[in-house]
Amino acid sequence: MTNYILKRLGQGLLTVFLTVSTVFILIRMAPGDPAVSYAGPLATTEQLDAVREQFGLNKPVLEQYWIFLQQLFTGNLGQSYSFQAPAMVVVAERMPYTLTLATAAILLTAVVAIPLGVWMSRRPDTGREFGVNVLTIAGQSMPDFWTGIMLLTGFAVLIPIFPASGFATWGGLVLPTITIAILQIALISRMVRREMTANFAAPYLTVARSRGVRNSMLTWRYAMGNSAIPVFTALGTRFAAMLNGVVVVEVVFAWPGVGSLIVRALETRDYPLIQATVLLTALLAVGVQLLIDLAYPLLDPRVRLGKAATA
Amino acid sequence: MSLDTATPAGPGSPAGQPARQPSPSAVTKADIAKAGATRRRNAAKWKLIVGTICTLLVMIPIILAQELPLPDANFQDLSARRLPPLTDGHLFGTDQLGRDLLSRVLHGGQVSLTIGVLAVLVSGAIGIILGAAAGYFGGWVDTVVSRVLEAQMSLPLLMMLLLVVALFGPSIPVITFVIAIAQWPEVARLTRSMVLVEREKPYVSAARILGLHRVQILIQHIIPNVIKQATLVVLLLLAQAVLLESALSFLGAGPQRPFATWGRIISDGQDYITTSWWMVTLPGLVIVLMVVGVNLLGDGLRDRPRRKKKGA
Repeated sequence: MTNYILKRLGQGLLTVFLTVSTVFILIRMAPGDPAVSYAGPLATTEQLDAVREQFGLNKPVLEQYWIFLQQLFTGNLGQSYSFQAPAMVVVAERMPYTLTLATAAILLTAVVAIPLGVWMSRRPDTGREFGVNVLTIAGQSMPDFWTGIMLLTGFAVLIPIFPASGFATWGGLVLPTITIAILQIALISRMVRREMTANFAAPYLTVARSRGVRNSMLTWRYAMGNSAIPVFTALGTRFAAMLNGVVVVEVVFAWPGVGSLIVRALETRDYPLIQATVLLTALLAVGVQLLIDLAYPLLDPRVRLGKAATA
Repeated sequence: MSLDTATPAGPGSPAGQPARQPSPSAVTKADIAKAGATRRRNAAKWKLIVGTICTLLVMIPIILAQELPLPDANFQDLSARRLPPLTDGHLFGTDQLGRDLLSRVLHGGQVSLTIGVLAVLVSGAIGIILGAAAGYFGGWVDTVVSRVLEAQMSLPLLMMLLLVVALFGPSIPVITFVIAIAQWPEVARLTRSMVLVEREKPYVSAARILGLHRVQILIQHIIPNVIKQATLVVLLLLAQAVLLESALSFLGAGPQRPFATWGRIISDGQDYITTSWWMVTLPGLVIVLMVVGVNLLGDGLRDRPRRKKKGA
């Protein structure tokens, strides 16, 4: 068990390391000079040189990478160019907002999608199920920025129930959460339906039914019990992905999270800020992934961590 | 991938083959029409029909955009700003610079669709080749491909895409490449799992005994057996590619020339949403119609009962 956790932690850290290294290389490969965007288009050559000197951009790339690695292990990725503050601090301040939004969205998704998927799987190929099925297809076909603007216009401008942007009151959480959840509900409920249908067709369920087990038991205890792991994995993976910033939705609703921060960091070519965002979000995502794996034995007693089954 | 055979048919009514000649079976035509398998087939048929209609409804005007009697997509007429739909021959109205919205949507759609189709072709090719190689050869090839797949799944996807586009410029090749890179894992994983099944089948051993080279077996015998299902996934990826491209261009990382694409048109109209609803609503509806169509088509093709080969 401990070995397993250590092994997974090692793999996770390696992934994070590769991610930030990839970003480092990509940034250096790209055309464009951060000194120009920092000092402005009218800066003289001397000024540009001074900026490069200040941020260590005039050193050889390998030396820059070495410095970057040292920074990585001390947890200090340098000053953000545009915020004039330690980049890690800037990102860390935004993180709670993204976490709140992601948590709210995944909770809403789970609460709606699981019962919806079960409902669909219990009456496959009926007219009503077909209707809901088509609705879920529509749900996964709507671009989230468009849904967001539509909800914003409908419920913040025309009928002003909720605030239009930011996170001043809890009401501000409602519209972004719904926007994210529409897509996620469509995806997850279809998956629940698929898993449950497969389980309903399995021989063990026929045996249980012939022994007179009640229908609700069959659904929730038997079929759901065996669908729990894939569904839980899907929910967890989605949650981990959201921690990387729900970029589009955050931009639409001016949500002060990591997603809107990264867009700004990219526009201004704020290298330390980009690196810090990638590092923190990747760390969090890997951590969540590990927690999901650790939860498997709770959902399915047959799973023994570290044994061949989960390797 | 589940072949759900359990149907909610009543006890004692096997919902299977319709009886050809008069038989003592108690299964009537009405029973067959109500059976789960029949309803499933009908649902797939409707999805195919509606999906085709929706897709064509968007695709045909886009393809014919140059032929249609429309003003140029970039032609500005400041005296005709923000006209509502159906005025002065502007079916979708005009935007804040007096450009014809329908023309913008169609011409932008050409760019979006081109990117989508190219991206899907590239990601399909990469995915099928790498996935098949990983599944068939196993060993270190499989290890490398699977590791790369895993690593990419845990990367912050949209963030990386934005990063690459922001750094290398929003040109059509860059965006196409970026979307293709984002999408190949799905094809590769599916192809790999199917090839794993195929390679254990007797015909592969037979081919090997006949002295065929391993690469030849893979290309001539295994890939033709999995390509059909792999292309189905590719169709669903087209829907995703269109959505991804529109998200990128909404965030300002989309192509600007020759025409602004759908996401950009919507973000342009965002500031005028309270006074000119059509500038956001209509382009969005076009995207939804198109993507719903492609998704329905993919779903319907997947659920369609497999026809037996003629003469088999």
